[in-house]
Amino acid sequence: MNIIAMFISPFIALLSGMFFLGISRKIMARLQWRYGPPVIQPVIDVIRSFSQMSISHGSLFDFGIILSLTGSFVLVLFLPIGELCPFTSGGLIAFIYLMLLGPLGIALSSAAAANPNSSIGISRKFLLSLAYEVPLLLVFLAVMTRYNTISLVEIVKIQASTGWAFGSWTLVLSGIAYFLILPAILGVRPFEVIKASQEISSGPIAEFGGKHLAFSTLQHALHMFVGLALFVDIFLGGWTLFGLLDPLSGTLWAVILGIVIFLLKMLVVLVIGIFINAVYPRYRIEQAMKYLWKWPMLLSFIGLIIVVLAT
Amino acid sequence: MSLELLLIIAFGGAFLVYFLGKISPKLRDGFAVFISLLVVLIIASIYGKNIEKTFYRGFLGLPLVLRINMLSWLFAIVISSIGSLSVIFSLSYIRHEEKTDFYYLMLLLVNSAMLGIVLTGDLASFFIFWEIMSWTTFFIICYKRGSALAAGMKYIVISIIGSMAMLIGVLSIQTKFDTLIISELSAKFASASSGYILFILITFGIGFGVKSAVVPLHTWLPDAHSQAPTPFSAVLSGVLTKMGIYGFILFFYFIVVLNQFLGLGPDVFNFHYILCWIGAITIVIPTFIALLQNDAKRLLAWHSIGQIGYIILGISIGTSMGVASGIFHMLNHATFKALLFLTVGAVEYRTNGVRDLNSLGGIAKRMPVTFIGALIGAFGIIGVPLTNGFVSKWMIYKTLILNTHPFLAFAALLGTWGTILSLYKFVHHIFLGQLPEEFKNMQKAPFDMQFSFIILSIVIILFGILPGIPLKVINSIIGSAGFSTLNISIWGIASETGTLNTINIFTAILGVGVIVWLIFNGARQTKKVDQYDNYAAGSAIPEGKYNYTVSFYRPLDRMIRPYLKDFVDEFYLKLAEWSQSICDGIRRIYTGYVGDYVMYIILFMTFLILIQLKWSIF
Repeated sequence: MNIIAMFISPFIALLSGMFFLGISRKIMARLQWRYGPPVIQPVIDVIRSFSQMSISHGSLFDFGIILSLTGSFVLVLFLPIGELCPFTSGGLIAFIYLMLLGPLGIALSSAAAANPNSSIGISRKFLLSLAYEVPLLLVFLAVMTRYNTISLVEIVKIQASTGWAFGSWTLVLSGIAYFLILPAILGVRPFEVIKASQEISSGPIAEFGGKHLAFSTLQHALHMFVGLALFVDIFLGGWTLFGLLDPLSGTLWAVILGIVIFLLKMLVVLVIGIFINAVYPRYRIEQAMKYLWKWPMLLSFIGLIIVVLAT
Repeated sequence: MSLELLLIIAFGGAFLVYFLGKISPKLRDGFAVFISLLVVLIIASIYGKNIEKTFYRGFLGLPLVLRINMLSWLFAIVISSIGSLSVIFSLSYIRHEEKTDFYYLMLLLVNSAMLGIVLTGDLASFFIFWEIMSWTTFFIICYKRGSALAAGMKYIVISIIGSMAMLIGVLSIQTKFDTLIISELSAKFASASSGYILFILITFGIGFGVKSAVVPLHTWLPDAHSQAPTPFSAVLSGVLTKMGIYGFILFFYFIVVLNQFLGLGPDVFNFHYILCWIGAITIVIPTFIALLQNDAKRLLAWHSIGQIGYIILGISIGTSMGVASGIFHMLNHATFKALLFLTVGAVEYRTNGVRDLNSLGGIAKRMPVTFIGALIGAFGIIGVPLTNGFVSKWMIYKTLILNTHPFLAFAALLGTWGTILSLYKFVHHIFLGQLPEEFKNMQKAPFDMQFSFIILSIVIILFGILPGIPLKVINSIIGSAGFSTLNISIWGIASETGTLNTINIFTAILGVGVIVWLIFNGARQTKKVDQYDNYAAGSAIPEGKYNYTVSFYRPLDRMIRPYLKDFVDEFYLKLAEWSQSICDGIRRIYTGYVGDYVMYIILFMTFLILIQLKWSIF
């Protein structure tokens, strides 16, 4: 089972991540009364990028992008997708740390390119990630303290028997906080300060072309997948759906349907998020930081206090 | 090999090196390396032994005791190995300076004194070695003169205050229990009142806290670390601050026993819980102050304080995993912080003393080994998986979360994110971006410097992938302190509440990495371009340096700078100013006229007579 999952889950993550990228562009376009690109446009772009010749600024430039894509694939292996979870070592704490590899890789790669636009982009990337990590860590701590475990698989299992975390009064505030910072994690409107193509010519990826660009697009897709999947796993009970799969439990059908339900939940979260966020203009970086350290921070802080008092 | 011989070799070797330097500098260099490596070998050969030996020929009627157990062995091996690496690094670094003989003498004396501290078995010689360590350190900090003198003065004043507090503790123990032998003290302390234990822990705690730079006793450290010669900064940050940690562990778990230590004070105001919060503050505030620094060594110095916070938090939480994580992080911090300081030293050496982050850049292309060393060191201090820092931090978080201390865990995690930002800034500003014109012809670091980087990098990665090696030693330490031992394999830690298995992470990263690398290499080949061949969105690219380094994190900087002044330092400086002006005022009574002095005597006599007339007490 684990061996198969090891090969299947990266594919599921990659395909659905690319699909999410496409669908979000499409929805955004329709909200703005445009027709928009086809849903498979990101896939077309990646294939085209691979066929093009690109430049390289040295071995660190290559190493960084390899590290970042590796980091994102490894994350998927440590994430429960439906009932699949090939690796479990270290639980959510190790997962938080593994989440570093992707951004660090991109940062090293674009800094090696010696383009000031890239450096500005990276500086913004780190600032934004500090801004959203502070409330996010409070959210994670609330969940881990509430369920008294650090294992992601355990967190999903406990929700299967006691109901979704989002529906319990102790964790609802933390859940709302996570939902509020989700666009910052995914780097979509209004938090697209990192790429900001009109100001700093795509920021960290300014120097990327050809396979480097393809790799960074794949990394972005996987990152999107992980951000959404983590929300579904922690707050929406992972693969569970009001006991619908109970009669099938233990069979292969349960696993497959579990993945389908899991992906559908992610899609719903994404679409709701886009509907809310598409109408906002882009924040400046300091506005983004102030916002993230105000409401989501307050909610997650109160959420953690409630959890500490309740346990 | 007996312990007294080890100390004689260490101390005697230091003086011998000094005299050999008068004959020939080459001979001195060779002998200094030989002595420091010999000490490492001797210590490695006494692994696992439990020796305690008493010399009744001590002074003042106090027995001198030398002993070794797992705890002192671990510290001794860290001291001697980091010490010898810094001696090797010094070979090129210090060659063109003046008074090199004196430098080597002091460097080797500091190392020997620290060995003395961990190998001694009684508090009298503990205090003596402690003092030797303090003043030799003072001489090396002041080695470069100029502004280093002020830093050294600050260090020695705070250090003396700490030692005096410690001396009060030593005297009090001697008068109360009539013994200073550490192995006998735990039995005596078992019957002591908790008030007395608290008194002893606080007096010694001030001494240890000063050395390990716990907030609010940290103010000497940023100045001292940035002013000292860089190879010594590595020792100072990597090992010397750990002497305080050694003292804390010794007093918390080997002199005062576990249950007594955890039972000091009521629920929330429990001594160990307050200490945890001091640790948490020591993590967060210095780490974010580090983010604002522009001097490479000052940035690392503030991080030293921050990382000490993790160790304090780990050892004072009082669970077996917490104490193990504290000791493990002590070891890890010694490796990665020494590595980071040494890489700065190499850059400083090749750029003739440039440490300002904003004037460097792009050096990775000229000093690749140094860059890889700095990168691995930075990954270690951040705690990226597959480095040793990850394992120890994971253990700290786990014990904090599962013992329902989420706010302490939050402080620790927040510190990590501050570390990521500032260490990225460190690596980016020195090694990445554009190479300035004046460093075009820079050479790579000399081999003796690279040797230290390679050894330390290997240790960081090795302990990250195989944490079982150091954890085995740590397990027997916490076992002897009365904790339940951890379930450790060579690959990590197993437990019912969450297992860490580094082999999983290692194979996942390696496997995926190889596949991704194959895809990358299989795709179309790339064209190598020059650093100035950049995409600038249609604008012309200016000649010369156009790095984005100054105010790298400006929005954050603006937000947090007002809150991150070092208020404690300001307070101490004010205090020093006040005491100076008060003493100045008192000094004025010494006018130098005999008539004035006669008047003082007469006034005093009159005062005494008046008292006698009124109360008749004499």
